[in-house]
Amino acid sequence: MESLHPRIRLLWVAQAAIGAVIVGLIATGVDSQLRELPVAIPVGAALVVLLLGVAYAVLLYGRWRFELQEDSLYLERGVITFVETSVPFVRVQHVDTRFGPIERLLGLSSLVVYTAGSRNADVRVPGLTPERARTLQDTLRDLAVESEGDDAV
Amino acid sequence: MSRLHPLSAVLMALNRGFTGLFVGFVLATVLAAAFDPVSGFWTIVAAPMGFLLGAAYGVAYYYRFEYELTADTFDVASGVFSRRDREIPYHRVQNVDVRQGVLFKLFGLAIVNVETAGGGATEGVLNFVGEDEAARLQREIRRLTAESKRRRKDRRAAAKDDHEGGPAGQEGDLEWIDPDALEGGDRPEEAIGPPEAADPESADVDGERVYADLDDAGDELGPADVADEPSDPEDESTDEPVFADEYRTRRLFGLSSRELLLYSFASFRFAAAAVVFFFAFVAGDTALEVVLATARPFGGPETIAAGTPRGYAMLTLISLFYGAVLTYVVGAGFTFVSYYGFQLGRAGDDLVYERGLLQNYSGSIPVEKVQSVTITDNPLQRLIGYAGLWVETAGYGPDSTGGSQSAIPLARERRAYRFAERFTDLERPTMERPTTVARRRYLARYSIVAGLLVAAAYGLSRTTPLVGWYYALLAFLAVPPAAHLKWLNLGYYVGENHVVLRSGFWRRQTTVVPYYRVQTVNTRRSIFQRRLGLASLVVDTASSQTFFRGTPTAYDVDLSAARSIHGDCRERLRTALAKRAADEDAGEIEFE
Repeated sequence: MESLHPRIRLLWVAQAAIGAVIVGLIATGVDSQLRELPVAIPVGAALVVLLLGVAYAVLLYGRWRFELQEDSLYLERGVITFVETSVPFVRVQHVDTRFGPIERLLGLSSLVVYTAGSRNADVRVPGLTPERARTLQDTLRDLAVESEGDDAV
Repeated sequence: MSRLHPLSAVLMALNRGFTGLFVGFVLATVLAAAFDPVSGFWTIVAAPMGFLLGAAYGVAYYYRFEYELTADTFDVASGVFSRRDREIPYHRVQNVDVRQGVLFKLFGLAIVNVETAGGGATEGVLNFVGEDEAARLQREIRRLTAESKRRRKDRRAAAKDDHEGGPAGQEGDLEWIDPDALEGGDRPEEAIGPPEAADPESADVDGERVYADLDDAGDELGPADVADEPSDPEDESTDEPVFADEYRTRRLFGLSSRELLLYSFASFRFAAAAVVFFFAFVAGDTALEVVLATARPFGGPETIAAGTPRGYAMLTLISLFYGAVLTYVVGAGFTFVSYYGFQLGRAGDDLVYERGLLQNYSGSIPVEKVQSVTITDNPLQRLIGYAGLWVETAGYGPDSTGGSQSAIPLARERRAYRFAERFTDLERPTMERPTTVARRRYLARYSIVAGLLVAAAYGLSRTTPLVGWYYALLAFLAVPPAAHLKWLNLGYYVGENHVVLRSGFWRRQTTVVPYYRVQTVNTRRSIFQRRLGLASLVVDTASSQTFFRGTPTAYDVDLSAARSIHGDCRERLRTALAKRAADEDAGEIEFE
């Protein structure tokens, strides 16, 4: 089982920080527009969001695993709800690699695997180095072509 | 290339004309307000100009909209300024639906929708054509699909040198559904031919259509079901376009009037509440009068302005009661009108259905496109021993309730299950239930809900003059039965070729998923489930019904059981694929 790149935690923490800033701004807005609040409330709310985000990032990183098995891409992840997913290679429609602005900054990339399924149609593996994402993409593509099943749609 | 019905040009011209009129009017008014040189007088010129331009666009749209059935694709070319040429390969067509509103029926018109998998909207819409043309299109698409399939098979057989004299042209077995099983070993004739004189009712027809009734009407159904079979085929040929085609349509199911009534009164449509709200809004004063008059004997207020808290509470109860009753009645009426005259049949490789009293719906679903089959029932239907059956495809259509079409709106439960078993070639499932630990979980969950309810009632009594919050404690009485019933209606069955998943009390669903259709398998464990060693297993397919009804899931089974089903699904998907590949090499299966 493969883990994600450790730097992915920074991405998640950064996302939590953005959330914390937004919460802080909302509380400040309430303070200036609606009613006076003690300074501790906006700061405290932002801190709570940030701390929760950091804890979540650490836990999530500890649980994220994935593996290319014999017939499927297998993933495990989740803090509140722990999910184990199997994506049979035959069912892979196409594979993307992609990265957002923060990911690019951190030198990370994501792999997105699409199936013809409805609810859980796209499966995302974040926190990969660009090289690893690319090799995974190539491997998955080859495996999908090799298994040569129809998509059952 | 063919065009739409000429009347659609008129309608389109009017539609776009009025849009143009409105735009012209608004534009002139705004300009007149903003600039001095533009006077209000301009609107008199601009509005008719807008109408003319819009109408011209509408007419141009009609002349620029063409469709054609080619050998391998269904082509639609459209667009006045920006053109779109769309080609839909027949083997990608999921279902073809024909819809006829009241006025359309009067003028003999119909809207044709051609669905493929994927995409947010219906891929091929012909709005609108004559009803004869709609019937012809449905028939032709079916015929051409079969032909193009045969050709592709021939090509593949020719490409395979090692298979000399391959079984080209032979009708392949359809994926997971065995047509023979459906028709009791009696393979349908695809060519036009004189009917076998098996069915006395239709033996005297002109040979184009035969209803070989496949319901085992005798053994399971009451006389009412039989009595309601169509007795005058002449009559049908005029208003049942789907069934009047060159393929012999075999009837699989017809909704008897008894079943229709049962279905109307034993199904609940909460969407009907919207109609009731609208009605209450329109007939506001009268409705208020009625509610007040009913509430008065029970201590309701004299007028809406004067009342005690107790009086208002009574008024609320009475209006809720009225709302519920009206919703139920409207829903029943809607069901009756929508499913009036429901028939399911089989023509070639397609299932064909039709229904509707005021609005006519008909359509065809290729059997090989069926993703899963779901049997649904609600507590009332279970009480009288009835259930409904739905077939699901990957096609998406707002009018087909999301890729899921009713195959049997309502029939005796045993019959619905038997149909499902024969249709999917499923062995009789013996449902396994999650352990009682799951029930404990629901007990805790519902206790929390009841606790919240009590807390809310208490809070309300503190802030409002409402008294007697402790009556809310009664909610706890409902907790044990609710938890038990929830648990009782869970189940799963891991079969040879299918996995069957069941859940829901108010709207119980038993979904049959063939391993071959599995897209992904998920084992989910929330923190609560982890504490109890439980897991939920989610089996995703390409069926678009999952958007509306949720993905088929085995809820709260033991972790080990979930892991083993997870493994089974993966393993059996592989076996099913290998088997299909082998069958295909032997030329027995049609490959997508």
